[in-house]
Amino acid sequence: MKNNWLKKLLATVATVALAGSFLVGCDSAGGSTDNTSGVKYRTLDEIKASGKINIGVFSDKSPFGYVDENGKYAGYDVYFAEKIGEDLGVEINYVSTEAANRIEYLQTGKVDIILANFTVTPERAEEVDFALPYMNVALGVVSPSDAVITSLDEIGADDEVIVISGTTAETYLTKNYPNIKLQKYDAYAQAKTAFENRNGVAWANDNTEVIAFAIENEGYTVGIPSLGDQDTIAPAVTKGNETLLKWLNDEIVAIGADNFFHADYEATLLDTYGSDYEDELVVESGIVK
Amino acid sequence: MDIKVLIDYLPLYKEALLLTLKIGWLGILAALVIGIAGAAILHFKIPVLKQIFGVYIEIFRNTPLLVQLFFIYFALPKIGIKISAEMCGVLGLGLLGGAYMIETFRSGLESIAKIQTESALSLGMTKGQVLVHIILPQALSISVPGILANLIFLLKETSVFSTISLMDLMFTAKDLIGMYAKTIECLFMLVVFYLIMLLPVSIIGSIIERRVRYAEFGD
Repeated sequence: MKNNWLKKLLATVATVALAGSFLVGCDSAGGSTDNTSGVKYRTLDEIKASGKINIGVFSDKSPFGYVDENGKYAGYDVYFAEKIGEDLGVEINYVSTEAANRIEYLQTGKVDIILANFTVTPERAEEVDFALPYMNVALGVVSPSDAVITSLDEIGADDEVIVISGTTAETYLTKNYPNIKLQKYDAYAQAKTAFENRNGVAWANDNTEVIAFAIENEGYTVGIPSLGDQDTIAPAVTKGNETLLKWLNDEIVAIGADNFFHADYEATLLDTYGSDYEDELVVESGIVK
Repeated sequence: MDIKVLIDYLPLYKEALLLTLKIGWLGILAALVIGIAGAAILHFKIPVLKQIFGVYIEIFRNTPLLVQLFFIYFALPKIGIKISAEMCGVLGLGLLGGAYMIETFRSGLESIAKIQTESALSLGMTKGQVLVHIILPQALSISVPGILANLIFLLKETSVFSTISLMDLMFTAKDLIGMYAKTIECLFMLVVFYLIMLLPVSIIGSIIERRVRYAEFGD
């Protein structure tokens, strides 16, 4: 019993040293792949041989990736995922992701493709490989109709803006408006509830998402419909997974010839957005106009 | 591992540590107060209050903190009770911890044989003297390991605060990974910071335990 605390201290120092050396070891041994964090992925042939592809989608981001009333995945992203499974001739295993762990899931090989409304950014392109885009997006800000915010300058020093951790809205506001206080949530469902409870003066997210929210819920107005740069949304694969990336790019070009993503829009997004946004949102064959 | 990244993120982790500690310790303080009051009520079998605390303990010991926080933070505003995220964290931790602390204190009180009270009373001590000089010193000494375990348990429970938008250590790490994808660095710092927070509690706890339980260890 004597020196009990000394034992604890020693054990901890040993653990930390071990963990540290292991992590450093990982780093220096990362030469076999072109990413330093020891990425894992399955090639196209391996996926075909296994008969199953793991696709990461959102489960709470209607109408892009969500679970419908029958417990089935549905939405614009999922419609595309189904097509991928069909053309590859494999079964699809959907993996529900949160915004903040999309890169993680690819790097650790938990999924083969991320199709979770993933906006292409230079920072993310360093960590994962993006295929051709299939949708346009910008940022937008929604606020209650009785206190609409039409410019970010209207946000007071004590006001908080709701964002979801790991989204482009968070990165954009952190970088360009460091003085705006952000209230961060790790899931869409929680951010929505918090916004409904008026825990923040506004909610910043992809404009597709905030427009859908304002259409589906009464009493909210999208005061800032477009913020920052026009970006695109694309499927992503693990860095270095060239066979799968090439197949995806060929697929997107091929199905674009039949206007696949227009059909996708009409099947999944028309109810929410109407036809006004169709040409604005949809990208065919990876060609951004 | 990139040392520069570690240094860049240090201030954010420090801020998260301070927030975690602030909410953690306020919650623990609340838990201790509830624990002592509740244990006394249950031990002395005060009517009505005894039943209320019994129900309270069962509810809070049999639901996860995450569920309690969800309820306090997301559901209560729907019926007009709005509490700030920090307050909600303190409340959740205090109520959860309180339920555990009551049982810990009570186990100490109940472990003192009734014959000691009877003997002390027969020697002419008053009921108050019996409590202060005979029961409490022994009961507290027996409760100490349980209380320390609760402290560490509660501090670790703070890791679910991300749900209610509190930037605690866990959420700060997750958030940074989501934005900049420096996974190894962020997770390494997360482990280190949790150790920085909990190791002193564990070490000081061991020392205190030896002091107050001198009679039992006997060396």
